[in-house]
Amino acid sequence: MQLKEETTSMVKNNKNNDWIKLLLDNFIWIIVVAVFAFFSFQMPERFFTLPNFVNVLLHASVLGVLVIGQAIVLLTGNFDLSAEGVLSLTTILAMWLMAEPRTDAGGAQASGWMLHPFIVIPIMFMVGILSGWIIGMFITRLKMNGFIVTLAMQLVLRGIALIISEGQIMTGSPALFNWLGGTRIRGFPVSVGVTLLMYLVVNYLLNQSKFGRNLRAVGANRDAARASGFDPNKTITRAYMISGFLGAFAGWMLLGRLETSISSLGEGMTLETVAASVIGGVSLKGGLGSVGGAFAGVMLLSIIDNALNLMDVDPFWVQAVRGFIILLALLIEAQKFRYKPKVVHEKDERIAAVELESKA
Amino acid sequence: MNKVAIKTETVLQMKGISKAFPGVQALRQVDLTVLPGEIHGLVGKNGAGKTTLMAVLMGLQEPNEGTIQIDSTEYTSMNPTEALDAGIAYVPQHVAMMDSLTVAENILAGDLPKTKFGLVDWKKVNDEAQKRLDMLNLKLDVTKKVEGLEVAEQTMLAIAKALFGDAKLIILDEPTAPLSRAEINRLFAFVKSLKEKGASFIYISHHLEEVFEICDRVTVLRDGRVVGTENVKDIDIPKLIVMMVGEDVEDYSRESSCTDEVVFVLENLARRGYYEDINLEVKKGEVVGITGLQGCGSEQLGKGLFGLEYRGVGNVKIHGEEFIAKEPIDSFNQGLAYLPQDRYRYGLVGVRPVKENVTYPILDRLVRLINLVNRSEEKKIVDEYIEGLEIVTPNQDQPVRLLSGGNQQKVVFAKLATTRPAVLIIHEPTQGVDVRAKMDIFRIIDEMASQGVAIIVISSEIRELIGICDRILVMNNGRITEEFEKGDKATTPENILDAIEGGNNKHG
Repeated sequence: MQLKEETTSMVKNNKNNDWIKLLLDNFIWIIVVAVFAFFSFQMPERFFTLPNFVNVLLHASVLGVLVIGQAIVLLTGNFDLSAEGVLSLTTILAMWLMAEPRTDAGGAQASGWMLHPFIVIPIMFMVGILSGWIIGMFITRLKMNGFIVTLAMQLVLRGIALIISEGQIMTGSPALFNWLGGTRIRGFPVSVGVTLLMYLVVNYLLNQSKFGRNLRAVGANRDAARASGFDPNKTITRAYMISGFLGAFAGWMLLGRLETSISSLGEGMTLETVAASVIGGVSLKGGLGSVGGAFAGVMLLSIIDNALNLMDVDPFWVQAVRGFIILLALLIEAQKFRYKPKVVHEKDERIAAVELESKA
Repeated sequence: MNKVAIKTETVLQMKGISKAFPGVQALRQVDLTVLPGEIHGLVGKNGAGKTTLMAVLMGLQEPNEGTIQIDSTEYTSMNPTEALDAGIAYVPQHVAMMDSLTVAENILAGDLPKTKFGLVDWKKVNDEAQKRLDMLNLKLDVTKKVEGLEVAEQTMLAIAKALFGDAKLIILDEPTAPLSRAEINRLFAFVKSLKEKGASFIYISHHLEEVFEICDRVTVLRDGRVVGTENVKDIDIPKLIVMMVGEDVEDYSRESSCTDEVVFVLENLARRGYYEDINLEVKKGEVVGITGLQGCGSEQLGKGLFGLEYRGVGNVKIHGEEFIAKEPIDSFNQGLAYLPQDRYRYGLVGVRPVKENVTYPILDRLVRLINLVNRSEEKKIVDEYIEGLEIVTPNQDQPVRLLSGGNQQKVVFAKLATTRPAVLIIHEPTQGVDVRAKMDIFRIIDEMASQGVAIIVISSEIRELIGICDRILVMNNGRITEEFEKGDKATTPENILDAIEGGNNKHG
C-alpha cells in the first residue's frame, strides 16, 4: 500500500516537472536564440540578413563536422585532440596527390601524379580512419592516457603535413574535388546542407541505435558496460575511427572551400570542438548528452565569431571576448542542474563505503 | 575542528555515533569506549559497520551525530590530520611503508640526523633507530630494507612507528590474515608487551579465537548497532556468534524446486592463489549457497566464471556443453548470468535510464535494420519486468541512480533475467538493500529457481543462505571444505559459522 502511494506521488511529481525538464534539456537553444536576437537588434543591417545567416552556417559547417566526432568520443568518456591534425594532414596529402606540379621556383612540389579526386577522397578517409584506429589501439590495448595519445597524434599528423608541404602553401585543387566545399545551389552552400543532414542522421542514429546505447554505457560506466555484454575496447576504438573519418571529411570540405592548404590549417579548432560539445550539454565524464545538443554549441560559437567580426571588435580583443562569452554560456548552462530533480550522489560515497568495507 | 577539554580516564569515548549513506544507515547511535592499556576487540559481519566506525574515528567520514572524545578532548568532527594529531593510528593488514628504504630510515623518516656538512649521518640514524626499537624490545635489523622483512615484522614496525609518533590508540585491522601461526604468536607477544607499557589497541578481526586470545573486552556490531560490549572472560565463542548473527532477524524460507537434472558442472576448477579443486554440480531449479571469509576465493570464482576475470584451469559445462567465457558477453550467449557484489561498479550504468539498463544484454534481440532499437518492443519487455519485479520507479526513463538501493538491485535482476539464463550466479544479493526489498529479492530468486534456473548464491549472510538454499558450501582458503544440506539438523548458523572459522584455523 505504502509502496503504491510512493509510486503515484513520484509519478505526479514527475508530470509537473515534465515541461521544466523539457525546457532545461533544451536550455542551450534558448541561449542561442537569445544571443541571435541580441545581435540582430544590435546590428539589424549587417547581422540580420540572409547572406550573413548563410555565412554563420558556413562557418559552422567545418567546425560542426569535427564536433560530431568530438561529441562521439566524449560520449565514451574520452577526448580526441587529434582531429585538427587529421584535417591538416589529409588536406595537404590530398593536394600533394592531385595538384599540378608547380612551374615557378619555391613553394611545395606536389607528387606530380595528379590523381583523380575520386581516388584521393577515399585515401583521405582511410588516413583519418587509420589514425583513429591507431589511437584506439594505444588507449585500449596499451592502456595509455587518451589525452596524451591524441595530443601526440595531432603533433605527428601535423608534422607529416609539414614535411610533405615543406611548410609552404599548396594551392589549386581541382573543381571536381571542390564540389562539396565550394559549390552553392541557389546561393545556399552544399557544405551547409550536408552538415545539417549529417547532424539529423547521426543524432537520430545515436539516439535510436544499439551503437548509441553502447557508446553512452561505456562512457558512463565502463566496467558495468562490460558486465552488461558490451566490449568497451572495441567501442572506444570505433569512436576514434569515426572521429578520424569526420576529421578527413571536414578536411575535404574545408579544402574545397579554400582551394588551398597549409600545414597549420585548422590550428586551435580542437579546443573549439570541445567547447562546443560541452556548451551543448555533452558531459566530459561521458555517457550524457547528444550530438544534436552539441550542434547548439556549434551555432553559439559561430554566431559569436560572426558578430564579433561584424562589430569590428579590435582583433586583439576578440580572443578574450570570445572566451568570456563561452564562459558565460557555460555558467548559465551549469545553473540548470540546480533545478534538476535532486540527484543523490550515491555512487561516490557508496563506492567509498564498499571499498572501505572490503579492506576490512 | 570543534573540541572541548574534559577530564577523563578513558583513551577513547565515542558517543552516539550515527552515519547514514544514501539509502543505508551505516551506524546508529554507536558507543565505544577504550581504556588505557586495553586491547579492545571489534567484531561483526561484513557490512555490520566496523569499517565505517573506524573511518569516522580516523576522520575519513564525518558522522551525522555523536561525539568522539580522545583522552580529554572532545570532537564533534575531525579531519584525518586532526585524528592523527589526536593520537589515532591505523595499521592495516598490508602495511604501506617505504619498502626500498631501511628500517632505520622508515623510523626516522622526515627527521634524519645530519652531519655538519648537511649530509645524512647514517651512523647516528642507525643508532637512534636501534635505541628506539630497544625501548619497545623489538628485535629488528635496522639496516635491513623493509621489503626484506617478514609481514609480521612489517606490522610490528608499523605499530612501533605509530608509538614513536605518540599514538595513543592503535587500530589493528585484520593483522593476522596473511600470517603463519608462528608469526601470529610473535605479533601477539609484541602487542601484549606494549599493552603492559600502557598502549591501547582496537583489534578488528573475523577470527574469534584470536579475539579471545588477545583482547580484554570486545564490542559486537550488527547492522550498524552495538549489540553489546563484554569482558572476554565473561563470554565464549558460541555466545559471541549469537551476538554477531542475531536471532531477531526475520527468517525466510521457501519450498525447494530442485530437480534431478544436472545443469551446471564444475570440474577441478583451479586458479593459483584464489581457488583450487573446485568440483560442483548444480541441478535445474537448485539454489546452492557458497559462503566463507573474505578472501576465501568465492568472489574470484564468481567473477572468473562470468568472464570478468581469469578463470584458471579446469572444465565447466552447462547442459553438458563446454562453457568458456573470455568476456561477459560470452557468458550471456552461453546461458550464464552474474549479479556482481558491487552493483555501482559492475551492475548498473547509473546515469542512464532504467529502460536502457534492463535491455543492455539483449539489444541484439531488439534491433531491426541498421541496428535501430525496436522501442515499442523494448518498452513492453521493460514494463513486464518493472511490474513483475515490483520495481518502484516513476517511469522507464528515470536514471537508475535515482532509485533506492533495493530497486536498483531489482533492475540488475531484471537485466539478468532478460537473458533467460540457465545458470545464475549472484554475489551478495541483499547488500545495501532494506528489509522489505530483501524479501522481494528472495522471492525473485525463488521464482527464477522454480522456473528451472540453476542458481549459485555467494554470500556472507548465513541466515539468508539457510532460508533460500538447498545446499550451502563453505569455502576456506580456496577450497570447498564443508557442505550443509537444507533441512538437516546440523544446518544452523552456529555450525556454519564454526565451519567458516574452524576451517580457517586448520589451515592457519
